[in-house]
Amino acid sequence: MIYPQTGMSVVKILEHLNVEVDFPSAQTCCGQPAFNSGYRPEARGVALQFMRAFKDAQVIVTPSGSCAAMVRHEYATLFADDPVRLAEVQRLASITWEFTEFLVDGLGITDLALRLPQPQSFAFHDACHGLRLLGLGNAARTLLGNTENATVCDLTECDVCCGFGGLFSVKMPNVSNAMLQTKINHIEASSAPTIVTGDASCLTQMNGGLSRKGSDKRVRHIADVLAEGLEGAE
Amino acid sequence: MDVQSNNFIGLAEIAIEQGTIPQAVSQGTRMANGRRMVAMSAGTEHGEAMRQQAAYAKRYALQHLADLLEEAEERLTENGFTVLWAETAEEARQHVLAIAQRHHITRVAKSKSMVTEEIALNDALIEAQIEVVETDLGEYLLQINNEAPSHIVIPVIHKSKDEVRALMQDKMGMPYIEDASEMVAFARQRMRKTFLEAEMGITGGNFVIAETGSLCLATNEGNGRMVTTLPRVQVSLIGIEKIVATVEDYATLAQVLPRSGTGQNLTVYTNILNGLSVDGGAEHQYLIFVDNGRSRIYADSRYTEALACLRCGACLNTCPVYRSTGGHAYGWVYGGPIGAVVSPLLKGLDQTTPLPNASSLCGSCKQVCPVDIDIPRMLLDLRHDIITQHHGEFLISASMKVWEQVNRSPQLFELGGKMAQLGLQMGADEWVPNPLGDWKAYRDFPGFAPQSFRAQWRKHHKENKHEQQ
Amino acid sequence: MNSSKANILARLRQHPAPFAHLPAPQTRRVMHPLDDSTDLVGLFCAQAQKLSAQVSLPASPAQAIELILQLIGEDRSVLAWDFPHIPLHGLEDALQQAHIERAPDRSDGVRVGISGVDAALASTGSIVVSAREGRSRAVSLLPALHIAVLTTGQILPHLDAWLAHQQTDLAGFRAVGNHIIITGASRTADIGMELVLGAHGPAQLQMVILP
Repeated sequence: MIYPQTGMSVVKILEHLNVEVDFPSAQTCCGQPAFNSGYRPEARGVALQFMRAFKDAQVIVTPSGSCAAMVRHEYATLFADDPVRLAEVQRLASITWEFTEFLVDGLGITDLALRLPQPQSFAFHDACHGLRLLGLGNAARTLLGNTENATVCDLTECDVCCGFGGLFSVKMPNVSNAMLQTKINHIEASSAPTIVTGDASCLTQMNGGLSRKGSDKRVRHIADVLAEGLEGAE
Repeated sequence: MDVQSNNFIGLAEIAIEQGTIPQAVSQGTRMANGRRMVAMSAGTEHGEAMRQQAAYAKRYALQHLADLLEEAEERLTENGFTVLWAETAEEARQHVLAIAQRHHITRVAKSKSMVTEEIALNDALIEAQIEVVETDLGEYLLQINNEAPSHIVIPVIHKSKDEVRALMQDKMGMPYIEDASEMVAFARQRMRKTFLEAEMGITGGNFVIAETGSLCLATNEGNGRMVTTLPRVQVSLIGIEKIVATVEDYATLAQVLPRSGTGQNLTVYTNILNGLSVDGGAEHQYLIFVDNGRSRIYADSRYTEALACLRCGACLNTCPVYRSTGGHAYGWVYGGPIGAVVSPLLKGLDQTTPLPNASSLCGSCKQVCPVDIDIPRMLLDLRHDIITQHHGEFLISASMKVWEQVNRSPQLFELGGKMAQLGLQMGADEWVPNPLGDWKAYRDFPGFAPQSFRAQWRKHHKENKHEQQ
Repeated sequence: MNSSKANILARLRQHPAPFAHLPAPQTRRVMHPLDDSTDLVGLFCAQAQKLSAQVSLPASPAQAIELILQLIGEDRSVLAWDFPHIPLHGLEDALQQAHIERAPDRSDGVRVGISGVDAALASTGSIVVSAREGRSRAVSLLPALHIAVLTTGQILPHLDAWLAHQQTDLAGFRAVGNHIIITGASRTADIGMELVLGAHGPAQLQMVILP
């Protein structure tokens, strides 16, 4: 709804790799907002829809570390007392990947032979769920590092939370913003004009703050940057 | 100490507005966190293995807690300690007062102890006309300024050097001194008398070793040694969860504690007290096992592991929420990530409702915890408890039910998306109660894309099919 | 059994014990593993110095005594362990000859304290001081300068080694009412996180290491 281009970037890259892609239209949400707020019955209801939508899937890929973490780590919590559904969510957990993780660990591809149209510098922000729950970190850096015309710079405290935290961002907006300002200060101090991350929620938080502050810098999703490199790919 | 945790957002605002608190706290926590990473060999195989070893030692002790407490009591008593049990904070206070009365105590020197803050011991002593002086420099400064500690290990982390100086000038009559060493020398000289004249020393405890009946303290300043050496009566208080089984387990934990807390290999004084001693020390040594809600936490298997906490402060030092607000915002004795878990568990969710939500669930606390406590999981469980115990806000609960229905139907989901887009274009977010208001207070919102992913996908998919034909 | 104790234990025993299925780690590690070839004396000195302790390795007892007299300077009294427990032959006589008194135990206001050690720990630059007859803990606590005299043979690899040794004689370990592992001079960082040496314990720690 907000970043359809990111979804299309994922599609383009996977199809470039001759992966057959489907988007089951019955899907809605993974249910994380309800779960994280303590509303487990509601989260369960939404998870059931997820299970319906993906019941025939063999591999599920998402450009969101937090959604992947929800399916892999918390669906079992939601259905702990339901042996049939538990088995189903365990299956889903075993086939759900975050996008960069799928490319590098799933397909074994570290170099997509991409080339950005212009030389650009980037610095990474490590989205929390991806980093700590999924153990991501190097996949995206590897893929971008192997992209021609892409230079990767440092971002101080790149692994410190941007302050989004889902509904935390609006339940405790002042604290969320204080964390955001710390992140923005680091972004401004970085030599990279563009920050790259793997989670659209972090991206929305950071860009929301950067634009409010009148900064020239922006955060982009790794899938979009890589897709940009497709145009120049060999 | 009054529980002010329900005012977390307001208290956080005060700290954020003020600016110097988050600045001092950020500086202090970054330093401590950096040192921890080196001392714990964070990220290395060995470092991770030591964490797991420490995690096991604590969980083993919790598994056998009742037996170990009995064993500890026996060994401690053989060593010359008088062991007392306190179910509640009030009972613990009464024990201390009774001891003070028995020994005609009028002057107490106290070494830093979070459990004594928890039971508000100082207030009880003062009410009984007993003079009590905090001897840890940071705690002393807070005491004379009538302030609470803001960090489990570094109580004055929220104050810059200038602020500490101003405090000492104001409350201790210190002349203007630039140099930190000289400031400490001034304080040391001033506080010396307290040690020499105190009749009773009160300490907390870092560990009790069950197999040997040892009380273990880890300190840096020397005040802990002073208050267990000079006064004729010693009273130590320790939470029942601080028991460890063996000397070997103590060896592991005694080293991960300082490395995780301040980045020191060992604190300056790693002290093992085995009771009465030939070289002096107190003639009467008491150890009070404090429950105060811990056995209740123990019984809820979702939260038992919260009792593995060593009170090292590593989670506070890594937490970006804590860094932004400082410890006072949490409204009670224990702040930061572990505080957001144990304060509700000890004081009840009624008095601490915001705390489990005072987190973006970034997971850094679990990563740095030397005993691998899964704080994020417990925060999620506490958030669930809030809802099931009817503390959830009506509007949010109602919205969640609507949200669930929308997300169970792909048609409604898509329709909902379109309506939200339309509404946003019409500026509906200005007059319909919605979370976007709080978002926009600080951040811009990108708005919805003109063509949704579903629409783009449908087009793309159709084009692909065409090509294949 | 008193009722508070009974209530607490009953609550703890009410449900099945937690963490019952947790597997123990395969091998037990020490925090700071060292291999057999490590130069323990060198490591001890390096670690102690990192903590701002002064370290000297005098070539002879006479040199050690000279150093100590220098450190005592103009003072006329010191706190000290009973001399048989300080591994420096001739120290008692030297102090007598210099008219330096041994102050009564626990005198405050005496600047220098001289003790031996029960053990030293190389990996952390620590000394272990256990409370025994004639070895008052006040000596390593009250004065501003603590001089610790030790021999190279007393240096163990690390805390794990010392504790493992204690475990071979737990009765002996428990018989001592107070063991203190001292790692550097007393310090505080309460003044704006600035590290200051010399809080309430000694501000200066001097190691004198004899062969």
